[in-house]
Amino acid sequence: MNAFEYRAPQGLDEALAVLREHGEDARVVAGGTALVTMMRQHLVRPGCLVSLRDVQGLNRIEATNGALRLGALVTHREAEVSPLVRERLPVLAETFRRVATVRIRHMATIGGALAHADPNQDPPVTLLALGARVEIRGARGHRELPLGEFFSDYYETALEPGELVTAVTVPLLPVASGATFLKFLPRTADDYATVAVAAIVTLEPDGERCREARIALGSVGVTPLRAREAEALLAGERLSESLLRAAGEAVKGRVDPLSDHRGSAAYKREMTGVMVGRALTQAWDAARRSAG
Amino acid sequence: MTRVIRLIVNGTSHEVEIPTYRTLLDCLRYDLGLTGSKEGCGVGVCGACTVLLDGKMISSCIALAVFADGHAVTTVEGLAEDERLHPVQQAFMDAGGFQCGICTPGQVVSAKALLDAIPDPSDAQIREWMVGNLCRCTGYYKIVESIRAAAERSRA
Amino acid sequence: MAHRIVGKPIGRLDGIEKVSGEARYSGDVTLPGLVWGKALRSPLPHARILRIDTSKAKVLAGVLAVLTARDLPNILVGRRMFDMPLLARDRVRFIGERVAVVAALDPDIAEEALALIDVEYEDLPAVFDPVEAIKDGAPILHENPGAYDGAPPERPHPNVQSVLRFKLGDVEAGFRAADQVFEHTFRTQLDHQGYLEPHAGVVGIDEDGRVQVWASNKMPFRLKELLSQALQLPPAQIRVNLTPIGGDFGGKGSVMDLPLAYHLARATGRPVKMVMRYTEELMAGNPRHPAVITLRTGVSKDGRIVARRVKALFNSGAYAAFKPAPSVNLGGAGMGAGVYRIPHLLIESFCVYSNNIPCGHARSPGEPQMVFAGESHMDMIARELSLDPAEFRRRNLLRDGDLLANGHHLEHVRASETLEAALKASHWSEPKPGRWIGRGAAMTHRHIGVGFTNARLRLETDGRVTVLMALPDTGTGAHLVLRQVVAEVLGLLLDEVEIEVATTDDFTTDSGVGGSRVTHTGGRAAYHAAEKLKEQIQAEAAKLGEPASSLSAIAQAAAREGRTLEASHFYDAKAHGAVTSFTAQVAEVAVDPATGQVTVRHFTTAHDVGTIINPIGHQGQIEGGLIQGLGFALMEEMKTEDGQISTLSLGDFKIPTIQDIPPLTTVLLEDAVGPGPFNAKAIGEGSISAVAPAIANAVADACGVRILDLPITAEKVYFALRAQERQS
Repeated sequence: MNAFEYRAPQGLDEALAVLREHGEDARVVAGGTALVTMMRQHLVRPGCLVSLRDVQGLNRIEATNGALRLGALVTHREAEVSPLVRERLPVLAETFRRVATVRIRHMATIGGALAHADPNQDPPVTLLALGARVEIRGARGHRELPLGEFFSDYYETALEPGELVTAVTVPLLPVASGATFLKFLPRTADDYATVAVAAIVTLEPDGERCREARIALGSVGVTPLRAREAEALLAGERLSESLLRAAGEAVKGRVDPLSDHRGSAAYKREMTGVMVGRALTQAWDAARRSAG
Repeated sequence: MTRVIRLIVNGTSHEVEIPTYRTLLDCLRYDLGLTGSKEGCGVGVCGACTVLLDGKMISSCIALAVFADGHAVTTVEGLAEDERLHPVQQAFMDAGGFQCGICTPGQVVSAKALLDAIPDPSDAQIREWMVGNLCRCTGYYKIVESIRAAAERSRA
Repeated sequence: MAHRIVGKPIGRLDGIEKVSGEARYSGDVTLPGLVWGKALRSPLPHARILRIDTSKAKVLAGVLAVLTARDLPNILVGRRMFDMPLLARDRVRFIGERVAVVAALDPDIAEEALALIDVEYEDLPAVFDPVEAIKDGAPILHENPGAYDGAPPERPHPNVQSVLRFKLGDVEAGFRAADQVFEHTFRTQLDHQGYLEPHAGVVGIDEDGRVQVWASNKMPFRLKELLSQALQLPPAQIRVNLTPIGGDFGGKGSVMDLPLAYHLARATGRPVKMVMRYTEELMAGNPRHPAVITLRTGVSKDGRIVARRVKALFNSGAYAAFKPAPSVNLGGAGMGAGVYRIPHLLIESFCVYSNNIPCGHARSPGEPQMVFAGESHMDMIARELSLDPAEFRRRNLLRDGDLLANGHHLEHVRASETLEAALKASHWSEPKPGRWIGRGAAMTHRHIGVGFTNARLRLETDGRVTVLMALPDTGTGAHLVLRQVVAEVLGLLLDEVEIEVATTDDFTTDSGVGGSRVTHTGGRAAYHAAEKLKEQIQAEAAKLGEPASSLSAIAQAAAREGRTLEASHFYDAKAHGAVTSFTAQVAEVAVDPATGQVTVRHFTTAHDVGTIINPIGHQGQIEGGLIQGLGFALMEEMKTEDGQISTLSLGDFKIPTIQDIPPLTTVLLEDAVGPGPFNAKAIGEGSISAVAPAIANAVADACGVRILDLPITAEKVYFALRAQERQS
């Protein structure tokens, strides 16, 4: 790696000030699992690393009004094992559990994962389906964005220079909902997904018709995506196997995946259809069980 | 740009001056002479560099040494107590859980962390926890056996 | 015959350093004043070097030396054929070829210095595919390969490194006599050996000019010879100090970066350590040869193989330098005949130059490629003949007295028994539990390795025996096996026998580790030395009037007279014996028809073995080789396009994890007929080669899809299934 200045501010304001001071030459680091790897490969060469590791107050997991709020410095492992997350949003805990290995999860933070914006990551897919919102602090002060507006491109977000993700707020599921996260790994157990799907099905009080479906996709575009056409197909409909399969097919036509080591674009497109169908089936079953 | 950091490694405090770019792994191996932890893949995937940072297993090849400033690090050299091997180490020897040994420090540190967290792991839990510890020699069967045996012995 | 210690499942008592972190591999070695070397590598597959400017790198703080080819003697290195420069002189031939080296105070500074070296290249036309490389008009990599030291004489095209043939009878006559002829072509992928310890080495030059070497290299005496040639120094000036090796699997037998470390040591006056990053291993680390293999087989009406012709193209990359066999080819090509009696046979194996990573030896060199092709081919023929694949094999298996194309006559052939054992243990004939479940079988055989090894035993005054040997520890458990052999012969407890790892100063030669030879050659050397020591002990005991078991008294008595009881033996297994070792494997797989994903539900491996000296170690070798075979079959692939490898980390180049291993049944047919000590055979390379075809055959059985190129990915199966549906 190149020589760099290392700063470890104790508080958020100090961190923001250091970032302002160094401008583009500074990179933020928390867990370091992505950044240090890229620095070792000489892909990035910051003159200054601003570590958030000692910044207080950003690693809480709290229940708020109908939602969970996770601070940006909460690690994947903390979210995975948190009793609060496991109880209130088990699909989210399960998603964090699927990321890489325990070693990575002990270091990698939620804020870091979101800011890194790798479309092959797992948590943003489920967070997107759950309707998460991102809290940001920077020169402009506080702002909040729906996660769907946060990712702009491959490794790119709506963060302006000098801005930091400080928390993510995740609404709880409505009653009579089922949620599932599927990570399709055809090659080996420790890998990025070939296709990832988070599906949430909420039933009408009659327990038969779908009130709302939310479908998010990962590893099939430059950002995680919501499959809005498929969601629309399901809304208000009586759920059936054929409908769920049709939804899968609808999604296929709309994704534009990139070929990578986990699959060609053509294969990923086909598997999107299959996995959406499977995820919806599981979410539907879970919804029916929860509806009682 | 260098920094003086203080690490507590296997219970002993060390003060070292290191360049900021020094990884925790390189600091342990070259600044402190603890060559038990190994560099394999260099990208945090293979597990050969596994150490415990405040009791939590991490990939030391992608952690900066400065991250560990003021923190406790446990390496393979710290597993044995008073000349007695940790049950995991003994179990690996008895069951043939290693061959060339290059992944072994990472395997035993990870296995110890597993048994600390889950004293009676199922086979599924062993495999999930250890998925990030690659081994090219053994085919893993005897690693599973070793960890199972260590768990049984620790419970006895 | 029951033994006291041989055959007992003794755990890895020799492993305390490995579980405690005390074992010092060559990357762990440090010397006072040590500095770090790093190599700059070519970004282009074929180009002229117009200019190299190292001026900025030389002045970076912490850099002690920067060398290019201009600073080195014009020497070519290799293992058998010497065609590779230490640093590219005026031309690069593959992406990853070394162009310059730097020595600096730490590896990070060294890598920063590399970025400051400015190289100007001029592109040359390149060729990547081995079929294209031997066509008229293909870009030529080496103008006159025949002029290289060690180059085999036959060269039908300048891009052919070597040709190896195996011949029996008259293959054209055989085809004319056949009732049906079948031809299929298969492809296998570029695949790294996957050892987790990248190449590492330390070179220091003593005050008296002796060169001290620590290296991850499994044949230290050959390394000494090769370094002598590369450094232009007399062999006596070089000492190779053995260190344990973090996995070899065939890939650690060359000089690799050591000559560059030496020249940096000379330039800086400091010892130099060079450790390849894993990215460098995946770019320039001598992986397994990719292959294009065509088999043409003629069979009679009653399902007997009458003739077979095999043409194999091994894509060898830019240099032949990493291949050690005298043929500069891959002996595994002989497995084109499989485990079958084939009266008319012609196998032609071509190793071809291309602007790709130079390849070398990997566990069972050439065999996993050839056996994938051959055993898939057998199943495809069986299907055409409407024969059960097991039955088709039965009709053609080798028998006692048969002659192989490499000239070996076989005795104690247990091919048939091994096959039946695998079929039985895998419930071959029972109905499958589901629609998309299939079973596939495959077989192979492997001779017991030959070579030469020295052993010297010394009786210590405390009654223990020290075994001095210069065989490095690559992890197989060989050192423990050697101790068991000696303990058995001398009637000692295992604890009373210790291995002392020698350096190249202690003996004149040793063929080192590899080729599944160590139990045989090392074991026999240790065995005979132990017998000699036993005789000496008995003679001394008689003189003293002591029982032969009071070893410390005997040793002390001799010591009082200024003598030490010592015995040496040099064992040279000049030729392969008439014994081989068969493997039969059955894979049971499930295919998910919606995704093409293949899951191995169960794997059965049956081996015809000699006396097993250490059952735990023996089984460990079977399991390790098998999972490497699984990786080769299902997931490993170094993806290359136009000479550029895109899988440059273990995040992209995937080897099996602990979650990927199938439930396993092992069947051992023990027959005490091997040439090793106590009639042991060999096991190191027996379990890898038949795995891929067993799985491919199982996939075909499960869903009718025949995959002809490795690895068998879900994507390939998926699209083949959809194509199959469209046809039906």
